[in-house]
Amino acid sequence: MGIKDKLKTGIQRNLNQKYIIRLLDIISKKPVLYAYGSTFSSLSDKYLNIFTIESLKNAYSDNNHPIGYGSLFLPYEMFHALGITPFLPEVMAGFTAGLGLATQTLKESSSNWYSQDLCTFHRSASGAVELDVFPKPDFIITTNLACDAAQKSFYIHSVKYNIEKNFYLIDVPYQYSKESISYLAGQIKNICVDISSKSGMKLDTSKFKEVISLSNEFRKWAIKVNNLRKTLTNYPPYYNGLNFILPFHGLAGTREAVILYNQMYKELKKYLDKEEKEKSGKNKSPKRILWLHLKPYYKNEIFDTLERENCRVVFEEINYIHWPELDCKRPFESLAKKMLSHFLAGSIDNRINVILKAARDYKVDGAILFSHWGCRQSNGGARIIKDSLNNLNIPTLVLDGDCVDQNNSSQGQVKTRLQGFVEILNS
Amino acid sequence: MDILKNKTNDISAFFENTLSAMDKRPLIGWFCTYTPEELIVAGGFIPVRIFGRKKIIKSESYFPINFCPYIKSSWESLLSDADNFKAVIFTNSCDGMRRFFDTTNKYLKDTPSYLLDVPHLRGAGSIDFFANNIGNMKRFIENLNGKKISRREIENAVSLINRKRKLLKKYSQIFTKLPELISISSYFKVMELSMISAPEIFTDDLERYLKFIMKAGAENITNLQPNYKNTPAIMIIGNFITEEKLWGMLSAMNLKLASDDLCISSRYFEKQIELGDDSDFLNLIAERYLNKPQCMRMADLGLKLKEIENNIIKNNIEGVIFISLKFCDTVLYSFPLLKQKLNHLGIPALYLEIEYNNFSEGQLKTRVQAFLEML
Repeated sequence: MGIKDKLKTGIQRNLNQKYIIRLLDIISKKPVLYAYGSTFSSLSDKYLNIFTIESLKNAYSDNNHPIGYGSLFLPYEMFHALGITPFLPEVMAGFTAGLGLATQTLKESSSNWYSQDLCTFHRSASGAVELDVFPKPDFIITTNLACDAAQKSFYIHSVKYNIEKNFYLIDVPYQYSKESISYLAGQIKNICVDISSKSGMKLDTSKFKEVISLSNEFRKWAIKVNNLRKTLTNYPPYYNGLNFILPFHGLAGTREAVILYNQMYKELKKYLDKEEKEKSGKNKSPKRILWLHLKPYYKNEIFDTLERENCRVVFEEINYIHWPELDCKRPFESLAKKMLSHFLAGSIDNRINVILKAARDYKVDGAILFSHWGCRQSNGGARIIKDSLNNLNIPTLVLDGDCVDQNNSSQGQVKTRLQGFVEILNS
Repeated sequence: MDILKNKTNDISAFFENTLSAMDKRPLIGWFCTYTPEELIVAGGFIPVRIFGRKKIIKSESYFPINFCPYIKSSWESLLSDADNFKAVIFTNSCDGMRRFFDTTNKYLKDTPSYLLDVPHLRGAGSIDFFANNIGNMKRFIENLNGKKISRREIENAVSLINRKRKLLKKYSQIFTKLPELISISSYFKVMELSMISAPEIFTDDLERYLKFIMKAGAENITNLQPNYKNTPAIMIIGNFITEEKLWGMLSAMNLKLASDDLCISSRYFEKQIELGDDSDFLNLIAERYLNKPQCMRMADLGLKLKEIENNIIKNNIEGVIFISLKFCDTVLYSFPLLKQKLNHLGIPALYLEIEYNNFSEGQLKTRVQAFLEML
């Protein structure tokens, strides 16, 4: 049994905070951490895992830094500027799937009256909260971007931890307008002021400047990575763009995100250079796939199947850089613009525009929309997305499944549908 | 007694004028109780809430299987009856509604549609922001007719809708006092008519109806009360529950509905708009809508639970029936905390998830009966 399997089995048998803290204490020691990191064949994966563990270690440590739960699409720059250690329950729900814990967490949420019709990211995270597996937060910040679920489930968490007064919703308006920017910037500012007064930490403008500058640096490298991927076909082993959700969101505004995306760029550049050198035309080029929404985070055969069928995911919409460069002098307004410009905010046309642009930029042969159970905001637009891509003669597969609950997805059916789709691409 | 009861519950007779649809003004369809009807009326239209009574057939190919059945049914209605409406006004009530608006925009291009952005927060900044959005909705309505809406027209519309809400509240109070006389079915039938009819005609009919009930109630008060004396007071909490068969079933079971928190009843008619002489009317409209009994979509679920707790105490509620349409995230997410609150108050609760226009009476009847017996 390898180190990763041992970690998995250990945590499955001891699903409690004490065990997690002990585990993180051991694994986050520099020599162990870097030894663990080197077990990953790709440099991007190595840094991803190291930074993830360090981020978790911070969240689970009693280091006098306030802990803030945050939903995925928040501008995490505000957390880092305020000195709050972010903890992302939705991302952690993905971990519960990967570590084989989702059966336990989902069961717990059901026994706490969460309907089974709700999104499993939120149900699994809620189950983990009820089981006291997550660290206790001091603040909870959430948003209605991109869905209704986070604001509701996070409020329940605030009641569980008796911190309703430290619960904040960032209400993202439907339209991008002058009024919306002002409304949203006002909210972000008020939250920052309130948190800094409650936590006794001064609202430090120089810290905001530093964080925003780092965020811009991360953005620059992420754009370079995305540009490079427009032509890249061969990736490092096990590289999957859908694995970088935590750094892309939760670490925006940190040095770690800059390092990770800088390393990712260098690594992918090497692959691209090699690919260009070896261009012989002998091999049949793979079919280029655009991936929409997220993926299952438990062990599954989707990407292996695609690989075997000579298909390659060349871009994921979630990695699209939708926001303009942030302005250090206007941090709240900049963060408001970052949220408002998200393609999942407002009309489906915003998302369609990004999808069609990506389809053209990455010269895709087909698109796969992973239809995660209970995700109304995404699945509710599936027909429009499919029709819009079809207008460009790009076949689209709406693949029903569940990102977290393995028992709610039939691997055989998924495989059959993928193979059928590949046949269409090859016809 | 039965003759009086039958007469009282003959809604089609009392609301003959309303049902005759003699008012030929064009219609604007709406869905959510956060839509300011006043502006639709002021613009010269009849506001008609879309109930989506159509069986879901074509709609299945537009939305996934686990999607709000009310939206699917309403989309089915629009696909066949969109021509009846001059325009349709949506709100960003939930993820489903946002996608419904997108679908309408994309596939029913000839039907003008508008999405009113309703904030999730209720502070001063939200009221200003919402007032600005209501101003944009006003412009959308003005463009339909090519005519500006005057302040006088808004004042008249506010006064009319205020009157309607006041009468509905009175009706609701009488209904809870006289359960022997007014059936649950009739109560919700009148509520439905209030949302789909020309408000002037409806309020006149309702006023006449109320006069009749009050007279009948006063004259027969001694005969009416005893049957419900030992019946537990029930509160129904949920979303867009409009199942006639459900109301019929509950009426037949003599369930004493003492309070509700539904968007087809109290969340619709509670709270008036108070217009002053120099007031900024858009802000006052925004204030009324953001401060009315809130939908579970709003950010402060704690406040919602407080509203429910107050109603439970005020109305001496002994049991709660929670009914949600399937796949309604905002309402379903409220149940874990509601259940905790009810446990704390010592109030038993029955949890039901139902489809729309596809009511399975047998199973539900057994569960409700068992719940009432337990009480």
